[in-house]
Amino acid sequence: MKDQEPREVSASRRAFLRGIPVLTAAAAALPAPALAAHGKHHWAMLVDVRKCIGCQACTVACIQENAVPEGSFRTIVSTYSVKLADGDQPAGTYMLPRLCNHCDEPPCIPVCPVGATFKREDGIVAVDGDRCVGCAYCVQACPYDARFINHATNKADKCTFCAHRVDAGLLPACVETCVGGARIFGDLNDSQGELRRRLDAAKAEVKVLKPEQGTEPRVFYIGLDERFQGKVEGQGTLWQPRKAHG
Amino acid sequence: MTPDIVETVNVAREIAWLPWAVQYFFLIGLSYGAWLVSLPGLVFRRPGWEGISRLALLAALVCGLTAPVALLADLHQPGRFWHFYAYFTPTSWMSWGAFFIPVYLTGLILYAWLAFRPALARHAEEGGKLAGLARRLAYGGHESRKALVAAALLTFVGAALVALYTGVEVMLVRARPLWHTPLLPVQFFVTAVAGGLGLALVFNRALPGGGDPAATRRMAIGLALTQLVALLVGVVWLALGMSGMSPEHAQALAQVAPSANWKVSAVWAVLATVATLALAVWRPGSGLLIGLLALHSAWMMRWTIFIGGQEVPKTGAGYYSYQLPLGPEGLMGIVGTAGLWIFLFVVLTTLLPLDRIGQAQPARG
Ligand code: SF4
Ligand code: SF4
Repeated sequence: MKDQEPREVSASRRAFLRGIPVLTAAAAALPAPALAAHGKHHWAMLVDVRKCIGCQACTVACIQENAVPEGSFRTIVSTYSVKLADGDQPAGTYMLPRLCNHCDEPPCIPVCPVGATFKREDGIVAVDGDRCVGCAYCVQACPYDARFINHATNKADKCTFCAHRVDAGLLPACVETCVGGARIFGDLNDSQGELRRRLDAAKAEVKVLKPEQGTEPRVFYIGLDERFQGKVEGQGTLWQPRKAHG
Repeated sequence: MTPDIVETVNVAREIAWLPWAVQYFFLIGLSYGAWLVSLPGLVFRRPGWEGISRLALLAALVCGLTAPVALLADLHQPGRFWHFYAYFTPTSWMSWGAFFIPVYLTGLILYAWLAFRPALARHAEEGGKLAGLARRLAYGGHESRKALVAAALLTFVGAALVALYTGVEVMLVRARPLWHTPLLPVQFFVTAVAGGLGLALVFNRALPGGGDPAATRRMAIGLALTQLVALLVGVVWLALGMSGMSPEHAQALAQVAPSANWKVSAVWAVLATVATLALAVWRPGSGLLIGLLALHSAWMMRWTIFIGGQEVPKTGAGYYSYQLPLGPEGLMGIVGTAGLWIFLFVVLTTLLPLDRIGQAQPARG
């Protein structure tokens, strides 16, 4: 069974893990906080939409890892039924994993009235929970609906790229668990790394969501259909988590 | 027709700026709008305006004191409001707003106190309710014109900053095309002034004898003007959107045009504005009705922009549907602010009854 594990995943995992001993050794020699300190890394993610099978394993892994309250999501695989004009079947399914893009020009940061939202030197956009007043201005400002107010903490919440795991040399939970091998996480500054190599190889095909917003997302997509790049035109989902769970 | 794309799995994001926020923007708008109406009578001493200007000042005060409570309640961590002052963030208009509000309120309270001092003293002299407290508050009851003008200047600065920040804060949110239009602050301002006039008209009508008819007519003209401007701004908004001249407006229009709810809201808003305008022109005596209509339009506009705006998904298909919850995150927010408003109104008008405020009074030395 192990041999049948999707290649790309094990490859990306191996590549990532291979670098770990060096990093952690360096981290041990430095005063904390280790990995993030010098802007040495620039974490990013590549989502190969063609490989996503829509199983929502990432959605569940994220909820488990980050204790996301019921009805809220830091990542979800938006799923669409798309009419096919030239197929045997009347419709196909399109899957689009969504999460915080850890934008390099993040509109969620300047609006925060207390400076609780910030960008770490390693590119991760984070919320200082001790400072956040829960005003939700950042929720409004994010063009991707990536943020929400966590009802358990009453603070702004969103994907952190699993910063706590990354700092410990691990992959984000969604990447670790991805069944289709669609999510690749890594360091943009590492020219030999899996992420960089994949991005370079797929160059022309690499897209981001809503590029016109000038947010410079650091979640990249391969196989992103234009119709799903911005606000999707179509019939909205009838399922609403809060309603479903009271 | 079946759509080409149907969303089968996605998250519906909840409304994050709650009805409390609508109440805040409504009340703070009414407050500075009504405050502007207090100027002709109290600062510029325009004949015939004194009574109505005092009533407008009462409106500004009651709304201005209620508004920050609604704002505080909209925070999900209200106990941390001091973070606004401990961690000033100059890139955020909301952070600036935390400093503008106290400027406005300090000015407003000072200005109101200076304006009402003589009336408070008279109320105490004549043995009205809470006469002791009124006497203490009147603190001699002198009328000091210079101090009043100085306080008016401070309030003006605060009011201008508040009007500016409340509009720009929302306008800057590029992620919501409906908010991200340069006309939004203008629309907030015009409806705020209309609402302020409206509330003063309602107070005027509550006076024994239904208020001064000449004042009612004067206010009706003012209200008609605001409605005309509101309609003009609406036409410009639509023209910019439909012609594609302004991509922001075109995008905003494209997002809401397919929705039946939005069409109803738009038709409703236009009809209410036209009705207010027509009544104000042809039946300027119908002070109560046009006043209530203007208040209703100011509130509806904010509800539609804030709650309706948050029903438009930023990435997902279709619309999120919002149902007003009955608890503190919904209906209680509206009822709560209304309750506080009434409480403050009762306290203030016990100390200084409405008819005493509404009387045109000769200046005292
Ligand atoms: S996706 Fe949204 S929350 Fe994440 S960094 Fe960009 S603007 Fe901020
Ligand atoms: S909700 Fe928190 S992180 Fe977001 S803008 Fe407000 S204070 Fe900042």
